[in-house]
Amino acid sequence: MKAESVSAWQQWLTQLQQVAATFAEPLSVSHPLVILPLNILGFWFGLKIYRRAGTPILHPVVGGSLLVLAGLLLLGLDFPAYQSGSGLLYLLLGPAVVALAIPLKQNLQVVRRAGWPLMLGLLLGAVLAPLVAVVIAALLGGSRTVLVALTTKSVTTPVALALAQELHGVQSLAAGVVAFTGIVGAVCGPGLLRMLGISDERVVGFSMGINAHAIGTVRALEISALCGAFSALAMGLCGALTALLLPVLVTL
Amino acid sequence: MPQIKNVCHWLLGAALLLLFDVAGRSLTATFALPIPGSVLGMLLLLLALMLFGRVPSGLAIVSEQILRLLVLIFLPASVGIYFVRDLSNGDWLALVAAMVIGTLISFALTALMLQRLLLGRGGRRRGERGEG
Repeated sequence: MKAESVSAWQQWLTQLQQVAATFAEPLSVSHPLVILPLNILGFWFGLKIYRRAGTPILHPVVGGSLLVLAGLLLLGLDFPAYQSGSGLLYLLLGPAVVALAIPLKQNLQVVRRAGWPLMLGLLLGAVLAPLVAVVIAALLGGSRTVLVALTTKSVTTPVALALAQELHGVQSLAAGVVAFTGIVGAVCGPGLLRMLGISDERVVGFSMGINAHAIGTVRALEISALCGAFSALAMGLCGALTALLLPVLVTL
Repeated sequence: MPQIKNVCHWLLGAALLLLFDVAGRSLTATFALPIPGSVLGMLLLLLALMLFGRVPSGLAIVSEQILRLLVLIFLPASVGIYFVRDLSNGDWLALVAAMVIGTLISFALTALMLQRLLLGRGGRRRGERGEG
């Protein structure tokens, strides 16, 4: 136990050293001092475009990743070089997942009032969302890579990335699937529920959080604070629940 | 000296995030648990916060900052989608169809189910909202 905790700590230090080593390399187009500003610029402009357009279709993930891609093509860089230059950001993924506990804690008070029906709905919804997608893809003859990527479609990206690693899936594909799913849910979700005659903001928010994670939560916050709180809560719980259940189910 | 105090709170918050991340990872490694270490770290932190009763100010600030930068943090992984080459056209079709149709179906089903569960048999009745 003691030895293991030391090794996890050492692993982290090794990772840190590797990142530091990339900074010590001679300056080139794949140097972190070139790649990191590229990432930050892509993110910043992506955010600006999103704020101006105000539609989930142009979520910062979409604009940001396209801008970074354009930068990589201009610099003539391939993906592995870009990845090693972005090492510092990969280092922050773990702590970012842990940080999800704080909004979860703050929203837990909301759920106390709704109680067990909500938890039952969460469990069913969290299973249903990936299941429906996997069945459709399997019927259309999708390969195993595709099916594994779809299992984390409704989970917030940092958790999906951690799960992709755990399940030996393709992290990039998982990230893309999560973003696309979130956008579909955020764009079509509220209209769909209106067509079904569902107007209870708790139901709308919770469905958004389960099916469209963070992108849906931003959309839910535009509807109302209550809707946003339910969505944020569903997103966090759905992520945790999927992370607990999925590795067990996939290995079966 | 309020600045120094704030810096200390911030550092404490950042150290807590890192500590729970490493703790989660070492626990999953020790007991060969089939869940991502960082997710276990998150659950442990949630448990600790519920026992503690409130969120320390530094931790609240650090987590808000890191979550605001979330898109930047996973940008490198997202960019990789343009470099995925080993999927056939059929795979892409299955993927897109599953994401669009699957999401709409599960969205509708989840909402209908929640409506039933939350509002009971009279779920179709209107006028039950407005309590928020």
